[in-house]
Amino acid sequence: MHMQVEETAVEPVRLFRINTGSCNGCDVELAVTSAVTEFDVEQLGCRYTESAREADVVLITGPLTVRARDEVLRLYAATPRDKVTVAIGVCPVSGGVFRDSYAVDGPLERHLPVDVNVPGCPPRPQALLAGISEALAIREARRAGVEPSRKPKQGKRPNADNFPARGRLSFDAGACVDCRMCRHVCAAGAIRFQEGEDGVRLTLWHNSCVFCGLCCHYCPTGALSVTGDWRLDHPASDTFRQVERGEIPYAPCSGCGESIVPAAPQLLHAAFRRPNPEIEKLATLCPACRQVMSIGAPRR
Amino acid sequence: MTTKIIELGPHQLALEEPMYFRVRLEGDRVADLDVMPGQVHRGMEHLVMRRNLYQNITLLERLCSLCSNSHPSTFCTAVEEVAGIVIPPRAEYLRAVADEIKRIASHLFCCAVQANAIGEIPLFRRVMEIREIMQRAKEAIYGNRMDLAANVIGGVRYDLTPEAVAYLYQAMEDMKKPLDELYLQFANNPALMARMAWVGVLPREAAVECAVVGPVARACGIDYDVRKKSPYGAYDRLDFEVATQTAGDVRARNLVRLAEARQSVSLIEQCLAQLPAGPLCADTLPEIPAGEAIAKSEAPRGELMYYLRTDGSDFPVRLKWRVPSYMNWDALKVMLKGEPVANIPLIVNSIDPCIACTDR
Repeated sequence: MHMQVEETAVEPVRLFRINTGSCNGCDVELAVTSAVTEFDVEQLGCRYTESAREADVVLITGPLTVRARDEVLRLYAATPRDKVTVAIGVCPVSGGVFRDSYAVDGPLERHLPVDVNVPGCPPRPQALLAGISEALAIREARRAGVEPSRKPKQGKRPNADNFPARGRLSFDAGACVDCRMCRHVCAAGAIRFQEGEDGVRLTLWHNSCVFCGLCCHYCPTGALSVTGDWRLDHPASDTFRQVERGEIPYAPCSGCGESIVPAAPQLLHAAFRRPNPEIEKLATLCPACRQVMSIGAPRR
Repeated sequence: MTTKIIELGPHQLALEEPMYFRVRLEGDRVADLDVMPGQVHRGMEHLVMRRNLYQNITLLERLCSLCSNSHPSTFCTAVEEVAGIVIPPRAEYLRAVADEIKRIASHLFCCAVQANAIGEIPLFRRVMEIREIMQRAKEAIYGNRMDLAANVIGGVRYDLTPEAVAYLYQAMEDMKKPLDELYLQFANNPALMARMAWVGVLPREAAVECAVVGPVARACGIDYDVRKKSPYGAYDRLDFEVATQTAGDVRARNLVRLAEARQSVSLIEQCLAQLPAGPLCADTLPEIPAGEAIAKSEAPRGELMYYLRTDGSDFPVRLKWRVPSYMNWDALKVMLKGEPVANIPLIVNSIDPCIACTDR
């Protein structure tokens, strides 16, 4: 990831970090970008500063605790007017696993404007560098008085490399049986089910997801899976577009005609290993009709 | 002699986390200090009661990212204790592998930060580069460089394929020489000796009084390691010595850490060699009855304790912790007394304070 920012080769862009009460994961990874050659921010023409007044780019970690708020806002107020602000990790954007706590006063956007989000828990150093690059592009565009270009990432955006880093989640609606175990085990509340006219819709928000993969672990049909796509940085204006969604359509029960979510073939395989045609009939039956089929009458 | 009170924050202390001290100086020496905690208070005790037992596995991994594996593994142990679940032997070994990988990375990070605090930048970078071997291994095996997501109730949710075992053996081989060199450097390098030896001394009696744990205690000659004293998981089948030192200074604490990191390499190799075949998890969705349990483990910073109380529902009724940094940062008062201001960042970092764990 070598990106040359010409003008800054002379004078480095100064990065300033603010920890708003993080678990230290993002902060330790940011320390890596100041210490390890492969990930050094120097390759982007940047260096870290300890002085808020020198900040060209502000990197903010953590869910913003009530206790840290005043100090965070004081530090932020001391930074120059034209800095670019980057939210590192999902905590500043949504609170991540810490949302809904009395001690957390996020999202950060309620208190100060954010320009770039870098989702991850924590983001890998490559993702941090990608987010910082995005901030640099915004800074350049602002200084030139133009709108920041919106499509630098398309085209040769690397989806995944040979490292199986846990990144973006992928949802296969065809395999989902609406059991909602994923939502049950999600610590960050990133998954939502909505019942509509024609089906059930799953929405997973990557600005709340902490990429732990527990949903995939407990998903009985493999409808949810973790991909290696770690490039999740985006302009803050796209915060709510970072979703994975899919609709599981209702189908009429082949017995009584009531709207049901049919059992996916993956579920039959999980339950019966080698389903025969008789078992496959179960897939399109509602629970009551299934009971009639197997025990002669609905169970009371 | 003039008395002065100064306040120090994370930027002056070279800390990754927001921690503030109010220090009373007599002349240019520290006379007393107050820790002003709470910046990282996220209301964990409240949050864990609003999340079910499964959600808490992920939430607790984010209690602190440096000892991230110790939290969910100790929590799962407590849940398993309540439910009477015996985890499969393979899972015991895989938990130990995850814990030891985290221990090496955590100890090296602590040593690196201290090198940075005394201006030894090349050493800081060197230690961080060595640590990268472990970071890469974590990402290759677990998919993340900090939060491993290795544990579930009843076992683990990752496996080591034969290729992963071979990869990890190689990574361990790559760690040996650098770790041995680092140990010698922290033990004998005159520049490091000048800054770290006889600095921030915690006498053994004071260590006992403050009830310090982990490398801070072992550096004062207190032979206490949960993995030895009350072995859990696979540790009763693994062979290692408790690393101790007697000087109780900054140097001794680092030597304990580096000796432990080297031992962790050997522990991981033993785990890989002994790794039994079999299932990874006892039961996917076990029933958790009402009950209470205490589980403890040796986290990188020392003894970590979990108290869990359940009522037969999915949600814990109570979950409480005793984290190692809590006792250790109380000992800072003793370590810092009479030290010059310039030594404060080094001494504070030498206890490897985990603010995220302590503020919760």
